[in-house]
Amino acid sequence: MNSKYWNEEIETMPRKKLEKLQVERLKKTVEIAMGSEFYAPRFKELGITPESIKSVQDIKRFPFTTKNDLRATYPFGIKSVPLDKVVRLHSSSGTTGNPTVILHTQKDLNEWADAMARSMYCIGLRNTDIIQNTSGYGMFTGGLGIQYAAERLGALTVPAGAGNSKRHVKFITDFGTTALHCIPSYATRLAAAFLEEGIDPRNTTVKTLIIGAEPHSEAQRKRIEEIWGAKAYNNFGMSEMCGPGVAIECQEQNGMHIWEDNYIVEILDPETLEPVPEGEQGELVLTTLNREAMPLFRYRTRDLTRILPGDCPCGRTHVRLARFQGRSDDMLIVKGVNLYPIQIEKILMQFPELASDYLITIETIGDNDEMTIEAELAQATDDFGMLQNLTKEITRRLKDELLFTPRVKLVGKGVIPQSDGKAKRVNDLRNNH
Amino acid sequence: MKTIKQISIFLENQRGKLSDILTALKDQNIEIQAASVADTTEYGILRLITSDQVKAARLLSAKGNLVNLNEVLAIQVEPDTAAFADAVDALTNGGVSISYLYTFHKDGKLVLIIRPASLEIAERVAKEKGLTLIQGWE
Ligand SMILES: [Zn+2]
Repeated sequence: MNSKYWNEEIETMPRKKLEKLQVERLKKTVEIAMGSEFYAPRFKELGITPESIKSVQDIKRFPFTTKNDLRATYPFGIKSVPLDKVVRLHSSSGTTGNPTVILHTQKDLNEWADAMARSMYCIGLRNTDIIQNTSGYGMFTGGLGIQYAAERLGALTVPAGAGNSKRHVKFITDFGTTALHCIPSYATRLAAAFLEEGIDPRNTTVKTLIIGAEPHSEAQRKRIEEIWGAKAYNNFGMSEMCGPGVAIECQEQNGMHIWEDNYIVEILDPETLEPVPEGEQGELVLTTLNREAMPLFRYRTRDLTRILPGDCPCGRTHVRLARFQGRSDDMLIVKGVNLYPIQIEKILMQFPELASDYLITIETIGDNDEMTIEAELAQATDDFGMLQNLTKEITRRLKDELLFTPRVKLVGKGVIPQSDGKAKRVNDLRNNH
Repeated sequence: MKTIKQISIFLENQRGKLSDILTALKDQNIEIQAASVADTTEYGILRLITSDQVKAARLLSAKGNLVNLNEVLAIQVEPDTAAFADAVDALTNGGVSISYLYTFHKDGKLVLIIRPASLEIAERVAKEKGLTLIQGWE
């Protein structure tokens, strides 16, 4: 296959035709969801039937679905097909309350693998690549989701799994891995593991990184590309929608194309739940169009983004989502200021003296919120003056961004707790939290 | 240049950090000849002269410490306060500005580890004043 596209017809489909396809698939999905104990009564009450759907605008008639709905119906309450048609279950870790369970039929798995394979193809990966996956193979969709997609692409796939950086280093070196799938914080940690072995990551065979599952700034991407001497592409997925393979940046690296043959995309004001003006930021709300075990309608992702205006030079017609500005439930209110951790990350990443890990701690001291930002130093120094000036300069720039003065503390390696999962960025110790 | 290598390690006020470092060195039979801990309210720096600086730096770095190797002057004088004072006078009168200094005894002599603002100037002045610069020990 020498084409620029995995599926040219779908990826470059004119908008009008794409919307027609969406309407068709929405009707079909409603028909399937009539089999859901959760949706059937809601549809009945709202008069939603396949025949009543005329255009994509009809999506406004649908009820919202939230993570709480998934928890409340744990484990199988939303399913649309009998369990004998279901072949796989994925689940999120439930830190609070029930976990959420997502079910898949064989067709769901096939469509999912195809969508993620399309995403891999979109960033230039081919069947000649050797793709190593650093995600955990378990209930988390980043393991099997990437595995099946990379196999669908025809690439040699290394299911190395999470953790054990030494083993990853060995596999990459021995197998000549050309592409890595990892979360952004692990990309920098793995690079450090190479350096500890005396190998410059830029001299490895790795040329492409698929990074996702953790919001990250453009500066952090640039940094990852620099330390690896490779291209890093932002990949978006969530288990509720299938897993990885919902949206990906093309090689223009300017926004993620969300595969609209599989989803209806809405950007809504999280307060009013009305559409935001074109191109403005709001909460991403998605409706699945190509799933049968557990279709979800108007699922509130809590991710904040906007749709980039204009056409993409790559020729794909599916809209592009801007880099996520955090999640509506990540928003912190400190000293009366609304802020997102990613704003702080953006500032920290401007300092070459800092490594990638940081931790924001908020405490109540007296009657006030106090924020402390611990940032990991990239290199040791023998110079106190440098440490003090650097601390001052970081504090000054953070103050410009946040409009209050946080306490900044530089720390050495390994002080900020790390886990194999997503990096913990915020530690909110306030009395009322 | 007649200088020696010094290891600087970034310390947080973390429990057990110093003893972890010392244990790591002990396990590899690296001898510490001089050590100095300096701190402000926020940051600490441990400075070390050991029997094998390159090995020690590599080891401590692999153990997850932020390690910096830099050059300092080592000046050997007689083991008394008068000689110590003379050496410091000679340097400061010659225009050397000293960022920090620590000392240790070795082979019946006193060794001054000095980090000057400018290594070149300090080295030139030390030579002019006839001070004994050390480049390392066997
Ligand atoms: Zn594009």
